Amino acid sequence: MELLFILNKLILWLYICICYLYSNHISTPWFVFASLVYLCINMSIYIFKKASLKKGVVFLSIALILLSSFHIYSFFILLLPINLYELSANHVHNKWAIFTLLLFPIVFIPNNLHPVYFLTACFNFMSVAMAERYTFRIANLEDKLDTMRRDLQRLTKSLNEYHEYIKQSQYTLQLEERNRLAQEIHDQIGHSMTGALIQMEAAKRLMDIDHNKAKEFLQNAIHISKEGIENIRITLKHIKPRAEQMGINRVKLFIEEFSAQHNIQIPFVCKGNLEVISPIQWKIIYENITEALTNAMKYAEATVISIEIHVLNTLIKIEVKDNGKGAEKVTKGLGIIGMEERAASVNGTVIVDGTNGFSVTTLLPVNQ
Amino acid sequence: MNILEIKNVTKKFGDFIAVDNMSLTVAEGEIFGFLGTNGAGKSTTINMIAGLLRANAGEIKILGKNISKHSHFAKKNIGIVPQDIAIYEDLTAYENVKFFAGLYGLRGSQLHERVEEALKFVGLSDKHKSYPKGFSGGMKRRLNIACAIAHRPKLIIMDEPTVGIDPQSRNYILNSVKKLNEMGCTIIYTSHYMEEVEEICSRIAIIDHGKIIAEGTKEQLKAIITNTKDVWIEIKPMETIDLNKIQSISGVKAVQMEENLIKVSSDISVNNLNTIIQCLINDKVEIRSLKEQSPNLETVFLTLTGRSLRDH
Repeated sequence: MELLFILNKLILWLYICICYLYSNHISTPWFVFASLVYLCINMSIYIFKKASLKKGVVFLSIALILLSSFHIYSFFILLLPINLYELSANHVHNKWAIFTLLLFPIVFIPNNLHPVYFLTACFNFMSVAMAERYTFRIANLEDKLDTMRRDLQRLTKSLNEYHEYIKQSQYTLQLEERNRLAQEIHDQIGHSMTGALIQMEAAKRLMDIDHNKAKEFLQNAIHISKEGIENIRITLKHIKPRAEQMGINRVKLFIEEFSAQHNIQIPFVCKGNLEVISPIQWKIIYENITEALTNAMKYAEATVISIEIHVLNTLIKIEVKDNGKGAEKVTKGLGIIGMEERAASVNGTVIVDGTNGFSVTTLLPVNQ
Repeated sequence: MNILEIKNVTKKFGDFIAVDNMSLTVAEGEIFGFLGTNGAGKSTTINMIAGLLRANAGEIKILGKNISKHSHFAKKNIGIVPQDIAIYEDLTAYENVKFFAGLYGLRGSQLHERVEEALKFVGLSDKHKSYPKGFSGGMKRRLNIACAIAHRPKLIIMDEPTVGIDPQSRNYILNSVKKLNEMGCTIIYTSHYMEEVEEICSRIAIIDHGKIIAEGTKEQLKAIITNTKDVWIEIKPMETIDLNKIQSISGVKAVQMEENLIKVSSDISVNNLNTIIQCLINDKVEIRSLKEQSPNLETVFLTLTGRSLRDH
């Protein structure tokens, strides 16, 4: 921006010099003096950091311009608009107000200078205003880039954390399972085995003395062993928690909490065989549902948000649909992009539709 | 060989994403269907293949050559039947076809032969001196097809060619699509009439909001929803039948009986209706009515998107 101001001034100054050379110059030393002072003052504007000092220097420059234009060479007045612009740009935000301000001095200057002054003012105004607009846009884009970069970092970080988390939870799960198995083995199998062993020992001793008694003990041992085996089977069946129970409970819990917190109706329907959904898919489902619900809460002004998990033959469909105002044109924010990326990580897709309320449908393939 | 390859193509109109990171291949000799609602991105995709629109990202190849680098080659191998009829009302049918074929560089007697051949193919040879002004919608459409095929393209793209025409012309067009395919052309066919797509297409992509949400043969698409089909057989009341016999027929998964209604669920890929009926007849069971329920493409679309194909 500053460079542009300097350039503008330089062009005008050169123009004035040329005009002066072709006119019948009367007081050259004074002209040179005024020019040099003008250049000095205007270069020094950009040296100061403090806004008030800058303003003071600009005032000085304006005073010099007025003085020299009345006493030395009238064309100096052409340098006025750009200084005026500098002065007003920070205070007046309406572009057209600035423009009128730039044109205002035209009242006080001689008639023959009107067209040139008008053109200069227009030139200054246009170049600076345009540049301002572009700098604004660039700043905006840079801002966006920054946010995106931050988001990217955050996402990569959370991705890493997730990997870590998955590993960690896998390990914990294994430990838990091992503990539980050990406990069960100790409680059930150990108990039965010891019982059976005692009975068999007794049978062995009695074998020669009391045949019938020995038979009875053996029969007991068989009973105990049988029971033990049955127990083992039952235990093993109960030990394994089913993936779909964990996944669906997590989703249900979240929905209930969300519904209570925001006082909104969230009917939730599941269809088909939920057992085929893998833990990683449950994670995606959970995250996409939370994201879609939050979005619906933020933008939709809906009263009902319905959620459906439908397991088809080769696809799992998860739909979050609200009865809110929808959107004619859907612009993808980071939220939707995130859902798409998550789905894409297991070869799924996300369809977003805003024509009738707003719906987000996640389609994930069933792992065969 | 793949006649068409679309790789990660995206097309935006301002903020609106019409085609979203689409990838697709069409092999030579296929009739490939694009199925989707209006505004799903079918025509945008086709316009990009035809070179009328430029993709914002991604790559499109015709016969292995990038269309933006070899646009001449691509255009020579594509024939397009656009959604809105594009013929000149002030030229005769013959002149229309001749004009379009001439654009592809055909000249002289070859041009004349090809034009006659194309007109004959669409059944308009007797009308070749008439002006399209007096033609019905179906005839105009057929003339438009003739314009697109006179230069013998390898790939013919038809964008909703049956919209707004009478059933007779529609059948004629569907048959000619099949005939063109038998003659060795690959055809891309878009429609939101699922019956048409189901009837003629060998492979289908369901498109919604600029994305391909499912792709495959009809059977594969239907198998997304379920792999069973149900047959309801109503028999004379009070009959006794042996359900185990039906159960043992190949492909049958489950048999249920409620009063005089038998429900047979079987594998969708097995055609066992004849055997089931035969089995009942052998047992001298009187069949009163029979109803089969299996998913069609409409149900597939409805289940996947929650919207009907012809809502909009």
